[in-house]
Amino acid sequence: MGVYVARMKVHPYVPVREGEGLQDVKLPEDFCKVYPEFLPDPKPEWRNRMRERLERADMLKRRNVMEIPEFYVGSIMAVTVSDPNASGKLNRFVGICIQRGGTGLRAWFILRNVVDHQGVEILYEMYSPLIQSIDVLRLEKRLDDELLYLRDALPEYSTFSFDMEQEPLPENVEVPVNPIKVQLKPRPWHERWERKNLQGLQDLGLPERFYKRAKLLEKPWEKYDLMLEYRQAISEDEQRDIFREVHPHYQQLESSRRRIKRHRSGIKPKTT
Amino acid sequence: MAALRRIAGGVSINEVTATLRTLTINDVNNSLSRQLPSSTQARWMSRMKRRHTMPPFWLPKITRTMYPENITPENQAFVSEVIANQYSSPLKSDPWERGQWTEKVRRCGVIARKIGIYPMWKKDGTRLLTTLLQVSDNHVIKYIPPEEMATSYFNKRTGNVAGLVVGADSIDPREATKEFQSLFVESGVLPKRKVSKFVISPSAKLAPGTPLYASHFRPGDYVDILGITIDRGFQGVMKRWGFKGLPASHGVTKAHRAGGNIGGGGEKGRVWPGTKMPGHMGRNRRILRGVKIWRINTRHNVIWVSGPAVPGSVGSYVNIYDCSLPTRKINAENHPPFPTFFQDEEDIEEELYDADLHVFSDKSVTFAEK
Repeated sequence: MGVYVARMKVHPYVPVREGEGLQDVKLPEDFCKVYPEFLPDPKPEWRNRMRERLERADMLKRRNVMEIPEFYVGSIMAVTVSDPNASGKLNRFVGICIQRGGTGLRAWFILRNVVDHQGVEILYEMYSPLIQSIDVLRLEKRLDDELLYLRDALPEYSTFSFDMEQEPLPENVEVPVNPIKVQLKPRPWHERWERKNLQGLQDLGLPERFYKRAKLLEKPWEKYDLMLEYRQAISEDEQRDIFREVHPHYQQLESSRRRIKRHRSGIKPKTT
Repeated sequence: MAALRRIAGGVSINEVTATLRTLTINDVNNSLSRQLPSSTQARWMSRMKRRHTMPPFWLPKITRTMYPENITPENQAFVSEVIANQYSSPLKSDPWERGQWTEKVRRCGVIARKIGIYPMWKKDGTRLLTTLLQVSDNHVIKYIPPEEMATSYFNKRTGNVAGLVVGADSIDPREATKEFQSLFVESGVLPKRKVSKFVISPSAKLAPGTPLYASHFRPGDYVDILGITIDRGFQGVMKRWGFKGLPASHGVTKAHRAGGNIGGGGEKGRVWPGTKMPGHMGRNRRILRGVKIWRINTRHNVIWVSGPAVPGSVGSYVNIYDCSLPTRKINAENHPPFPTFFQDEEDIEEELYDADLHVFSDKSVTFAEK
C-alpha cells in the first residue's frame, strides 16, 4: 500500500485497573525474550485488543497440546513434522536456528543445516498443527540476533549431525552465549556483511574502501531516535496486562521450557 | 426517467426536495445504464459519483456540537444514572410472530467490525488465513413494511420486499442530536454509530429492539460481505490499473511509471471515456461473495471468515448477508436460524467450529499409514 493517511490517532495505552479481580502479578524480566510472539505487532493500523486476546487464547491452547521450548537464534533444534509424502509419515529435521520472527499465531523460525553438501533451510510455523514436536538439542545464544551470514560461511559452521544428542543445561544457569567467530567463504556474498555490524564474524579481510563506504552509510542517530523505539516497542503497561492474561498458564509454560533438570555442573558451550 | 425529467422541467423547491428524497443511487444507476451501449467497458459513467464526502442532506446529523457546559461531577453522575435507567430495560411490547423458513426467503444480515486477520489450519494440515469480524452490539432499529419499501422505483421491480434497519455500536446519547435520537425511540436502544438497511422478505421481520448476535450464522455457512475498500488516495496507473510502466533505462525520460499511449487516431481520434488513467483509488463499495464461515465465538460475537480479502481496514464496518450465489443455495435440511437466533432464549456453546477446521486444543495433525 503506498499512501499512509494520517488519520489514525495512536492513543496512549490505558492499563487495566488494578482492583478488577486481577492479582497483582509482577512481570518477569525475561517474558518478552522467552515468549516474544505473545507481544503483538506494534503497527497501529493492524492492532485490535479483542483479536489479540483471542489469538493469545488460541496460542495457549496449542501450547497445552504441544510444548514449545525456549530457544534463541543460535540454538540447535530438532523438529518433527507430519508429512503425507514421507515414509512413516513423519519428517525430522535438525538444524541451527538462524532467524526467528512473526507475532501471534504466525510466529516462525528458520533452521539451517548442510545435508549431503547441500545447504538446506526450512521455515517452521511454530503453531502449525503439523508439527509433532520441537526439541532443543543445544540451548545457547550467539553474538548476533540473526545468523543469515551462515549462508556465506564455510559449510562446517552450519553442519550438525541428525543423530546429535540433547545437551542438558542445569536448572538455574543463564543461557550461555557462544562467542564463536565464523569464517566466511571468499566473495561474492549474499549481502554486504561489512555494513551490518555483526559481532560473530572473523575479520572479513576486505579492501579499505568497503569499510569507508559502510561508515558513510551508517545511521548512528537511530540509537537516539526515541520515536522509532516507541513505534517498534510495546509499552511496559501493556506487557504487564498481557502477562496477566497469560499468568494462569504461566506455570505450565515454564515447565515446558524443557530445561532438563539433571544437574551437571561445569558444562561449557561447544564451539561448532 | 420521469422523476429526473420533472426536475429538469422547472418545479418548486419543495417538489424537488420531495422527489430527490425518493430517488436512490440505484434509481439513477438503472436509468443511466439503460442508455449506455452494452459494448463499452466503462464501469460507471464519468458523471456518476462513486464516493461522497458528505452524507445526503436528508439524513439527520448524528453528533451535535459539544459546548463546555461546566456540569458538576454530581450532576454528571446523575445524568449517567438517568441514561442507564432509561436504556436498561427492554421495551415491553407484544412479541411479534416469527416467520417460517421457505425456499425463496431473504433473511436479515448483521453489521460487523473487521478486527484482524490470523491463520487457522484445516484438519488435513492446510493453512488458511481468516478474517475476524466482530458483531458488536447489533440491534434492530426499525421495520419497514412492504408498502413503504415499494415507494422506491427499484423495490417496485423486485417484488414484495420489506426492510430492516439495524444499528451497531452504541454511542453516548448526550453526543447525539435530538433528531438522530428520535430514530431510536421506537426500538428503545441507545443511539448507534453505524446504521444500515437490510432488504428482507416480510416473513423474516424482527421486532425493533431485537438484538442480533454472531449466532445468526453458523460455521460452514457462506456469506456475502459488503464493505468500503481501503482509501489509497490519488494513485498512479501502475498501482491503480496494474500497468507495467516503462523500462528503467534505455533512454526512457521521466516516464518510468507513466501510462504511455492513451489512444489511437482515425475516426475515433479522441480519448475514449473510461480510459484508464491515474486518479483516486479505493474507498469504494465492494461486495465479496461466497465467503465461508469457519468458526464462531458466541461469547465475544466474533466470526472467522475465509481469506484476508474483506474490504476495508481493521476497525471498519461491514455488512454480512446470506450468500446469494446460485451454487450456495440453502435447502430445508440445513437452513440457518430463521428469522434469527434468539440467543437470550436458547443456549449455545461458546466456541463453534466447522467440521473441517483443526481446533487448537486438539492433538497435532497426523497422516494415517495406508
